[in-house]
Amino acid sequence: MTSRRRIAITGIGLVTPVGNDAPTVWKNLLAGRSGLGAIRGFDASGFPTRIGAEVKDFDFEAAIPDRKLAKFASRAHRFAVAAAAEALADAGIRPEESTAHRWGFSAGAGMMGVPFQELEKVHAACAPDGEFNPEGLVNGRYATDPVAFCRSQSNAGLAVLTRHFGIRGYATLVHTACASGGQALGTALKVLRRGNADFMLAGGFDSMLNPIGLSSFCLLGALSTDNDAPERASRPFDATRNGFVLGEGAGFLVLEDWVSARARGARIYAELAGDGNSLSCYRITDSPPDGDGPIQAMQQSLADAGLRPEDIDYVNAHGTSTLMNDRSECAGLRAVMGSHIDNVSVSSTKSCMGHLIAAAGAVEAAVCALAIRESIAPVNANYAEPDPDCAVNIVRGQSRPQRIRAALSNSLGFGGSNSSLAFRHPYDVEASLRDESSRAAA
Amino acid sequence: MNRPPRIVITGHGLVCGAGLTVDAVWDAITNGRSAVAPIQEWDSERWPIRIAAEVSGVSNQTLVEDRKLHKFLSRTDLFGIYAAGQAIKHSGLIAHRDTLDPQATVQFNDRSGIMVGSGGGAYRSNYDFFPLMTTAGGDWQKFGTELGSSVNPMWLLKNLPNNVLCHVGIRHSFKGTNACITNHCVGGALAVAEAAAALRTGEADRVVAAGHDAAVEPETILNYHQLGLLTGDALRPFDRHRTGTILGEGAAAVVLETLPAAQARQAAVLGEVLGSGCATEASGVIEVRPDGDGVARAIELALADASVAPHDVGMMVAHGNGTRASDASEAMAIRRVFGSDPPPITAFKWVFGHTLAASGLIDLVLALTALRHGVVPGIATLTAVDPELGPFPVSPIPQKPRSDVAVVLCRGFGGMNVALVVRAAT
Repeated sequence: MTSRRRIAITGIGLVTPVGNDAPTVWKNLLAGRSGLGAIRGFDASGFPTRIGAEVKDFDFEAAIPDRKLAKFASRAHRFAVAAAAEALADAGIRPEESTAHRWGFSAGAGMMGVPFQELEKVHAACAPDGEFNPEGLVNGRYATDPVAFCRSQSNAGLAVLTRHFGIRGYATLVHTACASGGQALGTALKVLRRGNADFMLAGGFDSMLNPIGLSSFCLLGALSTDNDAPERASRPFDATRNGFVLGEGAGFLVLEDWVSARARGARIYAELAGDGNSLSCYRITDSPPDGDGPIQAMQQSLADAGLRPEDIDYVNAHGTSTLMNDRSECAGLRAVMGSHIDNVSVSSTKSCMGHLIAAAGAVEAAVCALAIRESIAPVNANYAEPDPDCAVNIVRGQSRPQRIRAALSNSLGFGGSNSSLAFRHPYDVEASLRDESSRAAA
Repeated sequence: MNRPPRIVITGHGLVCGAGLTVDAVWDAITNGRSAVAPIQEWDSERWPIRIAAEVSGVSNQTLVEDRKLHKFLSRTDLFGIYAAGQAIKHSGLIAHRDTLDPQATVQFNDRSGIMVGSGGGAYRSNYDFFPLMTTAGGDWQKFGTELGSSVNPMWLLKNLPNNVLCHVGIRHSFKGTNACITNHCVGGALAVAEAAAALRTGEADRVVAAGHDAAVEPETILNYHQLGLLTGDALRPFDRHRTGTILGEGAAAVVLETLPAAQARQAAVLGEVLGSGCATEASGVIEVRPDGDGVARAIELALADASVAPHDVGMMVAHGNGTRASDASEAMAIRRVFGSDPPPITAFKWVFGHTLAASGLIDLVLALTALRHGVVPGIATLTAVDPELGPFPVSPIPQKPRSDVAVVLCRGFGGMNVALVVRAAT
């Protein structure tokens, strides 16, 4: 085990509903400021849910200066490019011609490929009466748009980002609904450990804040309908919670070998120390009430990181603010942490940012790294009325200054995929390294 | 550190236009029978491209027996669940699990992973909103209020890209490490690479890897055509007269286990995964580098990972999608890796079209089948090898593999390249 590579987080970039760069996001999360509000991107006035967590004041033109490439980038891709550029600048290292082959890419990507405007064009040509007739595509009423087609391909985001940043090594995209971002970072960790790359640009990006995306979750009854009080609509673990709030955004991290990161004098936020990954095999949307599935993911993550439950000081929960998820996750947390549970600060930053779906796990991993570095657990906003089914130590009222030796970030997806990532404080990693080397010397 | 365990394949499953079993597809290949035919899914008479390799005449219930599930599944999911089910059944894993005591069963399930390469991005799923859009007529108020009565409440679930992962998990209680890879055509091949990696590092004892796609739909055909990628003729890989690719649909799956796990239950072994390599060309969505740099690097990485020298490779299953640029750059890459002495090369897409996210996994299953039969199948649609490719050992008639090792090559949008190195069971 001692010969395994340790992986350092050396760069962070974020575009979220509470800010378009990491320092702003972090400041707002610590203050418990909400990024939720009435949906402005399209007319949602007739929907049961009319609120969301939109990215605001984002400069879509500036995100990709290369105009030709920009045409191939969707809304979420542009969030991704901006977040990734911030992460690389923050890390102080980027792919060069000589290192491009050793840079890899792994991201959680959203499922929505076709923008509503494209769908409207097909509807007008092929289904004026509601019934799809393919004839409309070829009888002259419809003009294909090759660029729009390219943009809608499953790995279009990968294509745009690898080209923009000149990454030429291992590259992948994953989608396990809300677990995507977490699983993408887990994949990146494994790719680095097995030596398939020396640097990874890893994260997630998504935007389902469009008529189809909003519809799909409204139909399932998964969204909060607190349209009159959007700032309080996302209240994970509160007894009165009534659904999640749909968000959008992107988060990227730069991951690299610990030893070489130190050698180049990089600032290390935290170690990405462990990955746990399981399937609940229960139901498509429901979480098992006893936490089965998330339990295995957390246990694997701890074991993978060489940590015990009592080493964990903070958990960034999946905490969607749905009745079932939060209950299931807490049951899982209690089972894994045992008697240590009361010592673990737990918060869901979805209380401020909403649910970023495929980007959530990546953004929340960044939150864990920042929490470790800054020694403060961000607040679980809007938590007022405790739920006996969610009896964990919620960070309520305000963010909690404390030393965080190690943290977990959970992401639990529709379809039953669960991801749990473990992070360690650089100080504790260095102590372990000293122990290892003195043992080796003896 | 202990040496990582060897990774063996103990089950396979396959569905595509050429058949519902590996044997049926192999029979089509060796008899020069292509499944490419006029499109049945819709009336394509006035279409610029009227051919594809569809899975036709097969009921949904043949693919997924439980009819209650059909309303939660899209067409591509049916293929993926079918292939994974076939592979798991073929491996004998479930019969083996049935002999375990309850505690060992729990451990077995927690140590069983699933990796899926998923096509996703289907256009037709969005058409479910057309009646609502017509009713609303641009009135958003109405769109919102009529939503619930117009669209199936379970719409999202039917369209999750990770449906195959989820349903294979529920069906077989496999609860271990998992991934749903949405990396266009290389998804299936990457699923195998990640499965093998998970087994090597001890994350799991067995993993089912699947790849599935169902791209034969009107918008996809039309757009691929507009990009100049499709042919209305035949798919002729590496041919001087090649004019493009043909879309197909289907899925394949394999069960991978560590050799000790397979030996412990005395499982029949079909082959071994020796290594994998993955590289992007950073060239954007559809462009490929003319020099095949990413292809060559993927093969070189895979050979290094497998500790196999180029001259020890017995045969190669090329991506061979029949487009001018892709085939030419691939030939450049093969020359770079193998010099003047490449192994016999074949490609299978002329039989069942380009199945996108499923293609790498289908080719892997067939590569192992070819090695076990000791034959590199001929490409029946090949008329004359493109002289611009230089000496290039593809043939309309069968060739002999030089050894029991094959390289399988898979390429996709985004300049993606994945190579797998496999060995047949002896």
